[in-house]
Amino acid sequence: MTEYEELTDEEIIKKVRTSNQDFYAVIIDRYQKKLIRYINNLIKNEEKTTDIVQETFIKAYVNLNSFNIEKKFSSWIYRIAHNLAINLAKKYQKEIPLSEDWDFKSNDDIEKDFEEKETIEKVEKCLKEIPIIYSEPLSLYYIDEKSYKEIGDILKIPDGTVAIRISRAKKIMQKICQKN
Amino acid sequence: MSKELKNIKDSVMNQIHGGEVKMKPKIYFIIGSILTFIGLISTVIFSTFLVGLIKFSLRTHGPMGQYRFDEIISNFPWWTTILAIFGLIIGIWLIRRYDFSYKKNPLIIIFVFIITIIIGGLIIDTFGLNERLIQRGPMKTMMGNYNKGNNIQNNQGLKFKIYQNNF
Repeated sequence: MTEYEELTDEEIIKKVRTSNQDFYAVIIDRYQKKLIRYINNLIKNEEKTTDIVQETFIKAYVNLNSFNIEKKFSSWIYRIAHNLAINLAKKYQKEIPLSEDWDFKSNDDIEKDFEEKETIEKVEKCLKEIPIIYSEPLSLYYIDEKSYKEIGDILKIPDGTVAIRISRAKKIMQKICQKN
Repeated sequence: MSKELKNIKDSVMNQIHGGEVKMKPKIYFIIGSILTFIGLISTVIFSTFLVGLIKFSLRTHGPMGQYRFDEIISNFPWWTTILAIFGLIIGIWLIRRYDFSYKKNPLIIIFVFIITIIIGGLIIDTFGLNERLIQRGPMKTMMGNYNKGNNIQNNQGLKFKIYQNNF
């Protein structure tokens, strides 16, 4: 399946829909780490994060025919993950404390994708302390490297609102990080 | 974490291969979209008309202070209110269920949806469209029963009388 690594997500989805469902494994490989980090930033619970990510891939597969191939797959799957995480967070608000600390294991390879590991760890630590309304767009922008448009698509807010939230988040974060 | 990642991939792919997880066919979404669209439009039209009907029923009781108030309370067609609320709930559910509010806050859409229905209902009532509709089709029977049940004479409302004469 290596030859398909050059293909875009949308091209792979086309293949999954029409010829071979095995290509869905490529999609899982591409997104599972990103989604785990993203969901964990939202709900701060390792066990439930894994469940949500798995549920995200299942839900995305079941509804794959509703995905508009002209649009960005990454925004679509992040949106599904966002909805599942928010629903779960609302359901188990007491069970999933927003301030609970959780770090990746030291021998884990998830961070090797990042050039600035230390900075990202610090950013993630600070992110956990700011309200989700600001932490989510900030993490999507700086950690997941999404554009304002993509963040707008995921969170269903206009690009201008994304910019405002990121700007405010940076100010809040600056204060929090300086304290720490 | 690597083990967990492998578990996620294996678990999802096993469920796909085992047939536990199946992709919904495209037709499912096409029919869903069409039904949603029809449902939403019907809800808007129906709720708008009901708002007009509620305003119309208020007017038919005449300006008589406390008596008017008591009459309104006792004779008010509460079922229309329940239906209107039910219609709104269905509409809101459809908006949220199918999540087609691309890049728009669902709360804003719901707010606009409700305001549209109320304004639409008031406009329909102001221009007498509901009274025209009452003279025809299934609404004629419905309003006839309502008026009969509440002892409302058709000539009690001047506007209604004018339209009645026109037909």
